[in-house]
Amino acid sequence: MNTDLRKDYLGIVFEKHRKLTAKERVGKALHIPLTQYLVFSAVLISFYILMQGGAVTSSFVFAIGNTMIYAIMAIGFCLLMGYSGLASLGTAGFVGIGAYIAFYLVQEYGYTFGVAFIVTVAVAIVTGIMVGFISLRIEGIYLAILTLGLSEILRNTFISLKSSIKIDMSKIQILGAKIGENEVYLLILLVFVVLLWITSNLIHSPVGRALLSVKNSSSAAQAMGINLMKYRVLAFVISTIYAAIAGLLYMMYLRNMTTSTSTLLAMTTSLNILGAVVIGGAKSLWGTSFGVFIIYGLQSTLLSKIAFFVENPAFITMLTGLMIILIVMFFPGGIAQIASNLARKYRESKLRKNVERRIEAYGRI
Amino acid sequence: MFAAFLSTVCGSLLGICVTCLSAFAVTLIFRTSTTANFAQASIAAFGCYVVADCLNNRGIPVYIGVFIGMAIGVAIGLFIDLLVFRKGRYINELGKQIITMGFVSLFFGGTPLVFGNPEFIPFESFYNTTKAGTDSNIVINAFGGEIVFTKHALICTAITVVVLGTIFILLKVSKWGLGVRTTASSEFTAELMGIDTHVITAISWALACALGVLAAVMYAGGGAMISASFMAIIQVNAFLACILGGFSTFYGSVVGAILIPVITNCVGFLANFPAFHNISRWQLVIVYLLLMIVILIKPQGLFGKKVVKKV
Amino acid sequence: MAESDRRYMRLERCKSRLAMEKEYKDILLKDIDEQVEKEAVAFEAQEREKLYRQHPEWMPKELVYETVYQAKLRQFDFDMEFEMQEALSQAARIVSKNPEQKEIQDSRLKELAEKQARLREKFTAHLEAALKEQLKEQVDIPPDEEKALLGRVEDFRLSRCRETQAKKEKISADEDAKIKKLEASLKKAEGAVSKTGLSMPEDTVLSVQNLCMYFGGVHAVENLSFDVKKGEIFGLIGPNGAGKTTVFNCITQFYKPTSGTLLFENKAGEIISLTDESVHNVICQGIVRTFQNVEVIREVSVLENLLIAGHSRFTLGLAAQALHLPQLKKQERIIKEKAMKVLEFMGLSDYKDWTAAGLPYGILKKIEIARTLMCDPQLIILDEPAAGLNDTETASLTELILRIRDTLGCTILLVEHDMGLVMNVCQTICAISFGELLAIGSPEEIQNNPDVQKAYLGESEEEAN
Repeated sequence: MNTDLRKDYLGIVFEKHRKLTAKERVGKALHIPLTQYLVFSAVLISFYILMQGGAVTSSFVFAIGNTMIYAIMAIGFCLLMGYSGLASLGTAGFVGIGAYIAFYLVQEYGYTFGVAFIVTVAVAIVTGIMVGFISLRIEGIYLAILTLGLSEILRNTFISLKSSIKIDMSKIQILGAKIGENEVYLLILLVFVVLLWITSNLIHSPVGRALLSVKNSSSAAQAMGINLMKYRVLAFVISTIYAAIAGLLYMMYLRNMTTSTSTLLAMTTSLNILGAVVIGGAKSLWGTSFGVFIIYGLQSTLLSKIAFFVENPAFITMLTGLMIILIVMFFPGGIAQIASNLARKYRESKLRKNVERRIEAYGRI
Repeated sequence: MFAAFLSTVCGSLLGICVTCLSAFAVTLIFRTSTTANFAQASIAAFGCYVVADCLNNRGIPVYIGVFIGMAIGVAIGLFIDLLVFRKGRYINELGKQIITMGFVSLFFGGTPLVFGNPEFIPFESFYNTTKAGTDSNIVINAFGGEIVFTKHALICTAITVVVLGTIFILLKVSKWGLGVRTTASSEFTAELMGIDTHVITAISWALACALGVLAAVMYAGGGAMISASFMAIIQVNAFLACILGGFSTFYGSVVGAILIPVITNCVGFLANFPAFHNISRWQLVIVYLLLMIVILIKPQGLFGKKVVKKV
Repeated sequence: MAESDRRYMRLERCKSRLAMEKEYKDILLKDIDEQVEKEAVAFEAQEREKLYRQHPEWMPKELVYETVYQAKLRQFDFDMEFEMQEALSQAARIVSKNPEQKEIQDSRLKELAEKQARLREKFTAHLEAALKEQLKEQVDIPPDEEKALLGRVEDFRLSRCRETQAKKEKISADEDAKIKKLEASLKKAEGAVSKTGLSMPEDTVLSVQNLCMYFGGVHAVENLSFDVKKGEIFGLIGPNGAGKTTVFNCITQFYKPTSGTLLFENKAGEIISLTDESVHNVICQGIVRTFQNVEVIREVSVLENLLIAGHSRFTLGLAAQALHLPQLKKQERIIKEKAMKVLEFMGLSDYKDWTAAGLPYGILKKIEIARTLMCDPQLIILDEPAAGLNDTETASLTELILRIRDTLGCTILLVEHDMGLVMNVCQTICAISFGELLAIGSPEEIQNNPDVQKAYLGESEEEAN
């Protein structure tokens, strides 16, 4: 080992006090959720720009937009299930609330998106408060099935009101300006990223910790000053708001739903969202988004290139089911756990290589 | 008028049988392995397709076909419990439920693939295949009107009573029944007492899936068209029946499963009055609302027991 | 909530904000001082680096020796340890599959250890030789160069101090203004709060009067009365099923008593009736408790458990938290500092970031107690704190309880079955049986009370005969 030990000394002494390199600074910044979400939105906006230029098909962008709508539902559900531990299968019904408000306000009465948004949130808050109070009385599987029943009530009510709803493209306006389908994509992206950021903030704040404490031990939470009723209701209100917003955006984007045959308001959606959250990792927002992509986005984006899957769409459903089963069987922490395991293994292998290299050098002295 | 009312109630007989079998299946699985089996409808539909295939394409007599279907159900149930649940790592209750949801997708996609994607197949009722050419209804004249039973419904009722009755008697007197009741009470303690809970849960899954297939066959025979998801409404009703009756007992869900179709048909009967003539649109909504109210009054179900955790 | 309660809650929030503001001022000033110090150290390191690059022969011999030698040796030891761990786990895997290989694997491991020891000797010798060789031409740094460098560092530090002095004064002024404003609004709020009509003797902090708790036909607590004096350690003893935890649950409003009065002197010095409070408000009045079955939040880390315990000190609403406003960051910082202090007090600093789920039982019990300290309580209720602890741990628990009482000046009410702990630590003991009061008095009086002996402590053979 023929190094200049004086240089080594300078290196060691100065190590502690030198400024961070640009690469390290970027790495540190990427740990902040806000930076991650900004980078993410930049990537998704680039899809939009590429589409204008013809590099990606509009159906690809459409599929991404569609996935984001489901991801909004899933993030609200992640807060409800992963952080508050409340079982709810009522997501689909609340989506219907947003969709039908969109239809009545935008199509029938010609209001702008902003008005529809505010009304949706207001109705969702009221519904969420109701369900939250119900959840104080009923627990566990009873609550799950009750919310399923509630979702079915809403769905049947909507079918009875109007079994098929449509919105004309011309009626969609934001702040007075008429917009096209591609601009709705940007709107969905904006809403999604903002909701992601808000949810991440809530998780890393006293509210998020209070929800976790209620989930783990309601007695301890109460003894520490956390109002059980307030936080249970809050969890339901938030997840209902997110689901309703997703319904509103769905109608803005797809502009057409035949409620009697569509699975959007049926138990299928509630179960799929639950599955997405679990396979993504119940406490990870990125994992949940990825889970939603697997269940809803994969078949329209990546797999649509492969002819076999286009001809046999049922195969994709089977594959999705199989994937859910395998991930839950072998990776109970979901994709988030898989990702962190891989990262850890990568770090360990790098460490091992370095150690082996050094031991070889020692031997050569 | 009263006769018409009774007729409506008796018309729900088939629904009662089907929902009873499904609800009992769900309760059995839930009480022994703490899992809500969301795949109940999908497995039942798959089994029904098997039976339809036997009947229509291979000319197998109906009761043998039904047994074959139930055997397939048993195989699926054993597969899920023995291979999927046991082989996985650290599977907790929530994980099991998600796995059942995975099976929903699996069967939803797989059923059309295996059976060549025919969406709606007609299915012959139990009656028609036993005696051709005679009237399929039995009519009783009473209370100033006609009360109509379909023979198919009567046969199904008989089958259901025998099957469920046998199971309940076995639950009460046999060693297997004692094992089931102990495992339902606490799986961990049951294992410590020497009961092989793995066998108990495997048998429970097998039995539940077989009952599901039986229910699907009955439902299809009553005139429903088969598709991969035709049992979905029955599954929702079965789940609601379980929480109406409470998961604390085995008979609670059966009672709930009797009540729900009867109440649904009674609400539908109100359509005969001019004031409520539009009610058939809102039938399900009203029934579900009534259920919600009952459950809010009794959160653990009609026969449930409240467990208070000591602080 | 009654109007007086709302005003009281506003008063409490004002007080809490005032205390937080004061703490925040200290934290900010401390931060600036630390920052200046860090910058000074960094500056010195930079200066030295510049100097030694120009004149490498001036590097301090011993320091180079220590730094380089130690660092390389530490790296070597780490690498050897890593190799040994890998070999151990590999050997274990082989042996678990083929048990007959055990001896071969053991001898292989021994060989590896010996090889490593030999290598270490060679390496240290090599390092020493290389160091000696390269440091031959080292001379001591000329004293005036050294003085000049230190002078430069000192100048830097002084100039930074001067620069930050202005900042510090501004912060002090701002904070003082805020504190004055808060104190004014506090005075206003204090004036508005009506005094309750209840009264209690001056030195009593909790007065339980005719407490009855019935569960249907079961009379869990029957007409129980006792007073707890300020600053004392009060013990509640009795056989299992006597209703001790029920009494605690009634005091902390987990159960609403069937009848009886519970008077408590809260943090504001007011006498309130506890039965008017809801269970999550009890901590704001100044009562905290631990649980018989340790109810630690297992999903989060130890530090986060304490942050949750400080939940009642946060005053911000949902919107501020959803947008992560600066006030939230400020309050989180303050509570986190308090949590670190509590961790240090309890000796749990090493476990700060460990998830609570895997920790041993003794640590979990300590976390339970640490949680009670987060809000500066008036009354701490400990429900069987020594359950599951051995003699050594019980002794340290005794010392901990006394230390808490002496440092915080609070009152402690505890239920315990370990009579040694109870007799050592409590000033007053109340013995109950089947929900009724048996005796109340000093430890000696209780020990000699025949009813208590019969019901619980056990009689000696002669007395029984």
